Amino acid sequence: MKRTLFLFSAAAAVVAMVSFSSCRKDPLKDMTNEESRIYITNHDSTANFTSYSTFSIVDSVAVLTLASDSAKKALTDYDKKLIASVTAAMQQRGYTLVNKAAKPDLAVNLTRIDNSYTNISWNPGWWGGGGYWDPGYWGYPGGGWYWPSYYTVYRVNEKQVAIDLFDLKNPKGDKLTAVWNALWRGSGVWTTGNVDSMVQASFAQSAYLSKK
Amino acid sequence: MKKIRNWILIFAGCFAAQAVSAQVRPPLSVDINYSIAQPLGSLKDYTDKTSFRGWSAGLQYMLNDQWSVGLRSGFQDFYQKLPRAVYPDKQGDVSAVQSRTLQVIPIQATVSYAFTKPGSAIIPYATVGVGTANMNYEKYWGEFVEKNNSWQFLVSPEIGINVPFGKASPVMFNANVRYNYAPYKYADITNFNTVQGNIGVKFHLN
Repeated sequence: MKRTLFLFSAAAAVVAMVSFSSCRKDPLKDMTNEESRIYITNHDSTANFTSYSTFSIVDSVAVLTLASDSAKKALTDYDKKLIASVTAAMQQRGYTLVNKAAKPDLAVNLTRIDNSYTNISWNPGWWGGGGYWDPGYWGYPGGGWYWPSYYTVYRVNEKQVAIDLFDLKNPKGDKLTAVWNALWRGSGVWTTGNVDSMVQASFAQSAYLSKK
Repeated sequence: MKKIRNWILIFAGCFAAQAVSAQVRPPLSVDINYSIAQPLGSLKDYTDKTSFRGWSAGLQYMLNDQWSVGLRSGFQDFYQKLPRAVYPDKQGDVSAVQSRTLQVIPIQATVSYAFTKPGSAIIPYATVGVGTANMNYEKYWGEFVEKNNSWQFLVSPEIGINVPFGKASPVMFNANVRYNYAPYKYADITNFNTVQGNIGVKFHLN
């Protein structure tokens, strides 16, 4: 009995000592790239998504870097994949792809954001994306983007991808209203192989985005 | 080591006036325990996994055969990873794998009462610890962390047993169950409630 107790308490003391040295479980070491990513979507709650029929998508992807404010356009394999995947998802939701000359109801902008990472604490709802595309592309030269007040536009500091949907049907003067936005953050958001699953996740959590 | 000596001096100073009756063991003891804790209440909604990463350690001074006072600290790490889910927020919907963590470091003054004489083969006792706890809240959304660190009032009633390794042995096996409560409010947590089991050893020092 005494001996058992002694062994028992000696074992407890050893475990306690080990706990001293390896105090806590590190969440970042217990995480795959897939698990590190977050997908944030937001929408204009006054938009009627069934009222739109057609959409057009940009022919390349804007790449925004911290070094230069002017976005450059790119069409890498990743970008081609992104355009194809978002197009397919929009078609699945009942929207018809048309040429931008054919006056589409919705404009789809794609942006990659490449800023050096600085450690920031994050609150859900901090918002990236925005008017990196020139509204002139969509036939509104000199125009601007209108973000309803519940979109918090936030300047971000890492690799991200943004999909922005603008209303071309009901322009407010020369401003186009953002009706939907998806933002991807985390490890591997610029990896071609992840595009389909990220697009699917973004649309899956936005059931309202549908013609049907 | 110097710190321990200082504590011994403080305790000795405080209780020098105490008439200590013929004692079975020296009055000052050190205990170290391994801790397992289970969240309850709203803490359970935040992270419901039992924590096997914890310890507790303290110093106690016997005022007489029944009453002791002391000081203790410790550590407990709560951690739970939730599968990917969509969390609605007033700014939008966020799809994320959440890793919810909380690290607790208590610092408490304790008062204990032993139910039997020090010569007994098993010494059941009750303790109340009152003090503060450092609450380190880290909720990971994917690899992005939402942090908050604060100090909270913490009260911890406890019952347990000390089993000496032989009559009048200065070394005892210790096992106890402790309830921890802190009026801690942050995000999903509306108060901090845990039940903690501890096993370890207690040494009386000469």
